[in-house]
Amino acid sequence: MQNESNQGKHNHNRGKYIPERINAALNIGLICVILMVLTVADLWKGDRLFSEAENRVLASRPELRWTSVLDGSFMEDYETYVTDQFVGRDQWISVKTAADIALQKKEINGIYLGKDEYLIERHSPEDYPEELVEQRLAQLKEFVERWDAKVMLVPTADNVLTDKLPAFAEGFDQRALLDRVAGCVGEAHMIDVYSDLLKRRDEEIYYRTDHHWTSRGAYYGYLAWADAMGEAPNTANSMDNMFMDTMETVSEDFYGTLHSKLNLKVKPDTIEYFPHTEDLSIRIVYDMEQEEASFYEEDYLKTKNQYGFFMDDNHPFIEIDTGVSNGRTLFVVKDSYANCMIPLLASHYEKVYVVDLRYMNGRLFPFMESYEPESGMDVLVLYNCVHFLEEFRYW
Amino acid sequence: MVFSSILFLFRFLPIFMVCYFLAPGRAKNLVIFLGSLIFYAWGEPVYVGLMLFSTVSDYIHGRLIDTKRGTLAAKGLLVSSLIINLLLLGFFKYADFLIQSINVVTGAEIPLLELGLPIGISFYTFQTMSYTIDVYRGEAKVQKNLLDFAVFVTMFPQLIAGPIVKYRQIAERLHDRPFKIQGVGYGVGRFVTGLAKKVLLANNIGLLWNTIKEMDYGGISALTAWLGIVAFALQIYFDFSGYSDMAIGLGAIMGFEFPENFNYPYISRSITEFWRRWHISLSSWFREYVYIPLGGNRKGLPRQIVNILIVWMLTGIWHGAGWNFVLWGLWFAVFLIAEKLFWGRVLSKIPGVFGYVYCLVVVLVGWVIFELESVGAVGAYLGAMLGGNGLWDRQALYLGRENLVLLIIGMLAATPLVTKAVRRMRESKERYVKVFYELSEKVVSVMLLLLAIAYVVDASYNPFLYFRF
Repeated sequence: MQNESNQGKHNHNRGKYIPERINAALNIGLICVILMVLTVADLWKGDRLFSEAENRVLASRPELRWTSVLDGSFMEDYETYVTDQFVGRDQWISVKTAADIALQKKEINGIYLGKDEYLIERHSPEDYPEELVEQRLAQLKEFVERWDAKVMLVPTADNVLTDKLPAFAEGFDQRALLDRVAGCVGEAHMIDVYSDLLKRRDEEIYYRTDHHWTSRGAYYGYLAWADAMGEAPNTANSMDNMFMDTMETVSEDFYGTLHSKLNLKVKPDTIEYFPHTEDLSIRIVYDMEQEEASFYEEDYLKTKNQYGFFMDDNHPFIEIDTGVSNGRTLFVVKDSYANCMIPLLASHYEKVYVVDLRYMNGRLFPFMESYEPESGMDVLVLYNCVHFLEEFRYW
Repeated sequence: MVFSSILFLFRFLPIFMVCYFLAPGRAKNLVIFLGSLIFYAWGEPVYVGLMLFSTVSDYIHGRLIDTKRGTLAAKGLLVSSLIINLLLLGFFKYADFLIQSINVVTGAEIPLLELGLPIGISFYTFQTMSYTIDVYRGEAKVQKNLLDFAVFVTMFPQLIAGPIVKYRQIAERLHDRPFKIQGVGYGVGRFVTGLAKKVLLANNIGLLWNTIKEMDYGGISALTAWLGIVAFALQIYFDFSGYSDMAIGLGAIMGFEFPENFNYPYISRSITEFWRRWHISLSSWFREYVYIPLGGNRKGLPRQIVNILIVWMLTGIWHGAGWNFVLWGLWFAVFLIAEKLFWGRVLSKIPGVFGYVYCLVVVLVGWVIFELESVGAVGAYLGAMLGGNGLWDRQALYLGRENLVLLIIGMLAATPLVTKAVRRMRESKERYVKVFYELSEKVVSVMLLLLAIAYVVDASYNPFLYFRF
């Protein structure tokens, strides 16, 4: 030590402050300490099955087999595993997001950082090739013709909250998509909710941190549906025009899927619902086994996936006895956007059936026929525009 | 395995370095060799055999050439070594390209082989060829130790993406590498710099090019097209030179001195200068082992022109098995020849700004040819650059605003300005400047490393560009 400081003085005469060797050792030491500490910490900590922040199952350690080593799949899986399980993963993602923001980025991991702390998912036309669009339209046409169905495709936030998008941002034009759909299945089968939502875009019709619409947004969807069907909205109970005022808050700390992709500090969302939809004496059967007496499942509010509160998250098949006796039946083919709107529809029917095509393995039409009463049923296709393109597929 | 991955940074590298520095003297080479095999096998378990075959083959050829020195047999052995290397390269890299071309020309329907390209084959075959040629010419001493030779061929730092190290450049260090802490310090710093260039600049700027590349070129404005190709130019530069930095840094940590591969190519004022600054180890390889043996400029102008055309066709096709790469090489050959014959002198006399603009435009158009594989796409893209679809639109403004800061940082980092400022601080006589430099050097490298880790962890986008080389 004594020697080194002598050398320091000596070197100083030549214009050096810290001796070169010590300086090099310091540089090496710093980088080595970072790499080594992180390596040891990473090996030390246990594996996580699931990332709450990202809301997905993380890769787990792959099994070592000769065949998987030789074809390289072991190495590939192992690499995914190490990256997924890396120590402090969520914090690293926050650091990366902060760096992107410092670079004045307004779009990170496919999410726009919109005005008023809105996170808005970006959709680009390149993600939906013409071939795919045509396939979906052909199936929809066949479906509508067979069932005389109504089609309600809800635009996503990037099309409606355009005033909140970053400057010059342009999304995937869903109005054009809807025009194509209308041209394909006929205007009379379409329920337009685009213009209603656009008129209401100053209200909180989409969550700020999640890709879904809010109960308020769904209510405007419901009004558009009622209007198109010639139904009087909310006839079941005391529900009048002031219905919106009956909404109650069930959560004030909801961080949705868009937040997960950034791990950015923003205001949490509030989840509201319509308690009056529970005035009916309903009986719900999920997947032909699990029986419930409510549209809402409070347990989800304690998890990351709070939107699962509506209709117990996503189920392949749901049967609802609404307790209304009017002999009418509704069959809904839907995505997760529908989950917060179905309770509103329920009061108009005696029976409601709901199918999520993502989980449907068998053939759709015979399945639907087996639930169709003699008197026939109303059929509704309810998706948001991009989920429709991604998920609307049946056999 | 790529350097910019969690696996490399937090598994391979620490374990390897601990083993390397714990191993006594001669065992260090064994650690490098075994480590490199694991490194290579991680991505290409089957092709390890190919690399080892190439190693043993050239080791034996070198030994035999040495013992038969001066005889016709030595020449035969050299030819045999070259043929084996070129056959390996030709078969694995160019067979399908050849078959496809034959099919197109003759209408035959020969089925493609569809072999995966062994990673790094273009680099290690060029390295081993330099060895046997140099031994034959007497410019390098034969290597009698198989392990030392295997280390030269398989060493993981430059194995997959260069620089192409000539055997004689590191021959001594293969045997004896004195430990110098300054060298290790330099290497660590160089590695972190390279990692930051690759992960922070190349990958992020690459996202912009990726977005634009997917678009329909018939509908993009001139601004979008220029943004796109500038982004690609920066991406490939930081990707490639960042990888070279990491290789040079890792080499320096172990006591090797690899040749430099890039020297701020985008500040060139002529194409001749550009190719002295871009992928230096490749162009110097072609100069030494193809251009000069063909006669270079010593056999008259017509012959020189032919030589330039040959070398640049080969340089082009080295970058990938496709006609666009040949075209890309010829594109540069045309300008190199024209600079020799016509405007080379003019360029050196007029104000520098003309040279910069001229060179950048030629290089950027070159990148369009390089990156877009069909003639139709190249035409459409160049049309868009010329303003065929309007000068700008919303989309261009969005992309420009979104990437403005990043592009400015990238452009600055592609010039020597930062390096010059750093050097002035380092060599300053002012004590305070020096202290500031020594502190900020540490702060900056720690920050770059941490940021790079954050981006690697988040890597929804961490592509590897060299699979085609």
